[in-house]
Amino acid sequence: MTTHTTIDPSAKTPWLFYGVLFGILGTLSIIAWGPIGVSGTYPRLVGEVLTLVVPDYAAANPYLQKMGHLFAKTETYLVIGLLLGGFFGARLNKEKAPACEMIHPSEKTTGRRYRDAFIGGFLIVFGARIAGGCTSGHIISGITQLSVSGFIFAAGVFATGILTAKTLKRRHVAAGA
Amino acid sequence: MTAFYGLLIGVAMGFFIQRVRASSPAMIVRNLRLENLSVIKFMALTMAVGMVLVYALNLVIPSALHFDVKPTYVLGVLLGGLVFGVGFGIGGYCPGTSVVGIGEGRKDAIVAMLGGVVGALVFTLVYTTLIAPLVKVADLGKITLADVTHLSPFVLAVIVSAVFLVAIKLLPTEVGAKR
Repeated sequence: MTTHTTIDPSAKTPWLFYGVLFGILGTLSIIAWGPIGVSGTYPRLVGEVLTLVVPDYAAANPYLQKMGHLFAKTETYLVIGLLLGGFFGARLNKEKAPACEMIHPSEKTTGRRYRDAFIGGFLIVFGARIAGGCTSGHIISGITQLSVSGFIFAAGVFATGILTAKTLKRRHVAAGA
Repeated sequence: MTAFYGLLIGVAMGFFIQRVRASSPAMIVRNLRLENLSVIKFMALTMAVGMVLVYALNLVIPSALHFDVKPTYVLGVLLGGLVFGVGFGIGGYCPGTSVVGIGEGRKDAIVAMLGGVVGALVFTLVYTTLIAPLVKVADLGKITLADVTHLSPFVLAVIVSAVFLVAIKLLPTEVGAKR
């Protein structure tokens, strides 16, 4: 049984209010310990697992050594906070658990949606690790600090992001489906 | 103690992301198709407010700030961004919003996070041979626009912030009718 959900295109979100708050929050973060970031937590998690399974390999891997230990990083606690924040954001609004959203015309089954989510998840973390940061670390924190890398990363993300999203819609229309 | 601050800031950030529906992959894809610009405006506003605040504060009490500018290794940062964008367009999640989505109860967010963990594993395995040489190409170091232009960072923050705010004001949030 597949649940199709289309979001109401006219629905307004409080982006103006929370955009201002998020700007203040990012400043508080730079005061408290440093700029926010997320994607480095993924290889640190992998590092903890590899340390349990293949300790010699993990200890000798230069990337895992460079990234440091999972629970020694403030960023890890921020990521745990994201999980709780998402939970409270939805529950305090008395929202039911969201149905699986089909985001491209080709996603006709939940399986296709999961396939896209997995491929997308793989590429965002792999790409973020090449660049050394993601939407949080490079774009939000990077551009807030006026770092040149943040602008370059953002240009790359939106170039292929827009192209990919538009192509996945158009290609399907062109195929007559 | 910073762990506790990290947790608190993470909870607030997750809450904000949930409320503006940035953790909805359908919303992200509508933004990338340029049909709705609310999440892009949310991000631009966050940066516009943040850059003026941090560089204003930097004029008064610079010791209070823990700046951490990432190195600009041009080829790697651009290539990483291009790969990230493809994944963003296909899946509709970024590394942070997938975690928020899991908190909300989205099952595809769990799948996206698993994809991310596998991506990080593969990256770790190929880092020494493929990535380390690549990221050293055209490494300009930890530079900001202030280093490039030799202008005051605060003045630059005001200028860039003003550009973002004008764009937010001029561009529509909902672009035309949904086809």
